[in-house]
Amino acid sequence: MKTITFHVTGTHCNSCKILIEDILNEQIGIERANVNLKQEMVSFETTLDDSQHKLAEILTEKVLRNGYSFSVGKKTKEKKDSEVIWQALPIGLIFLAMFFILQKSDILNFGIGGTVTPITSFVIGLIASVSSCLAVVGGLVLSLSATVSQDDISDTKPMFLFHGGRLIAFALFGGVLGAIGGAIGVSFTFGAILGLIASLVMIVLGLNLVGVFERNAITLPSGVFNFFRKLEHKTIAPFIVGVGTFFLPCGFTQSMQIAALSSGSFVSGMFIMFTFALGTLPMLALLSFGSASFAHSKYAPLFFKSAGVVVIGLGVFVLLAGLAGLGIISPLFNV
Amino acid sequence: MQKNTIISIIISTTIIGGALYFVSEKPIVSDGDDVTQSQNVEVRDGVQYVTVTAQGGYSPRLSVIQSNLPTKLIVKTNKTYDCSASLVVRSARFKKILQPTGEEVIDLDTPKSGEIIQGVCGMGMYSFQIKAS
Repeated sequence: MKTITFHVTGTHCNSCKILIEDILNEQIGIERANVNLKQEMVSFETTLDDSQHKLAEILTEKVLRNGYSFSVGKKTKEKKDSEVIWQALPIGLIFLAMFFILQKSDILNFGIGGTVTPITSFVIGLIASVSSCLAVVGGLVLSLSATVSQDDISDTKPMFLFHGGRLIAFALFGGVLGAIGGAIGVSFTFGAILGLIASLVMIVLGLNLVGVFERNAITLPSGVFNFFRKLEHKTIAPFIVGVGTFFLPCGFTQSMQIAALSSGSFVSGMFIMFTFALGTLPMLALLSFGSASFAHSKYAPLFFKSAGVVVIGLGVFVLLAGLAGLGIISPLFNV
Repeated sequence: MQKNTIISIIISTTIIGGALYFVSEKPIVSDGDDVTQSQNVEVRDGVQYVTVTAQGGYSPRLSVIQSNLPTKLIVKTNKTYDCSASLVVRSARFKKILQPTGEEVIDLDTPKSGEIIQGVCGMGMYSFQIKAS
């Protein structure tokens, strides 16, 4: 038994410590792995006889897909990282600007006439998914998917669960609205508070994606990140978040809920809400699976940081708008 | 690298500045020129009616009404499914998701001079003001 210490690169958050330690401890012949995030060092006890360089190589293979690597000597820290953020900032801002210009233009404001049928609610869903509703649901999807992809680029299961949860919840609650009518009275305050929580999650995850926490400038207690990790990777959590999007404040969703409410039967209410959610699916799926595919490419660092900028921007917008909606501050925007 | 950073900062500030200019709430009216009441206001049988359309935002954004008259706000929706359908008028204790097409009459009591009634959509992205002069 000997103790070996490696330098580790790629650690960007407190949860990395847990992940690396877990992976190392799973290996045969390795015990008591311990990661020191501040010094970017990992130490462990091993019974293996390979040379240090050989061990570093073998173990790097195990963690490379999560974006980490081990080395015997300290690698000169790439300067690339700080340059990426300067490319990411304008890219993220351009996307944000395009989003708000789209809202400002009246393209999305054509009315859809008549009574709400499953077909019209599908079309309304399509429109809603590129509207300011996107600021809440889309921002949340982007921040969660990018964070999931950053942790483990091959893990798309949470995304399927999220979208599945969303579709099922919309169908089910839509049906209940249609059947009972007003049973789950959609409370403004409850929705607004959920919106505020979503905006805070977006801002925190956005800052994490941009890499503010990376430089230990701000350290959140690792409990917070453990919570997010659970949120992302536990089977049930992405599903519940998907279900929760039913209650997020979005004018389109609320209008559809009213339509389902007045539809008068379980089946028609279910179809209205389900097709609405189905209409929002292409855009949201593009955001989440787009994140996954970008994470595989060589532009991954740029993508994560740009996504972080977009998410922070949307989060701040949703936060300020939500506070205005609750009457806490006077409205700052008129998008 | 230094050069890229500077370029990036310049582009970013331009975008942020431009966005703020377009999106932020402009001070709608100065005190001097609001003596005349707005076009969307009419008085019938001693009751003042002010009409606001809700569709992709509210229009007009600012209405000027007479003070000391019983006032009712009519919010018209026409195929409105966006946020402006979920209306909050705090001073009138009004919170409701409006029907996609229809009219909602909201009692504003008798506004006093200088009173500003603010309507905002549920998510807070759209707003309008009614000012009593």
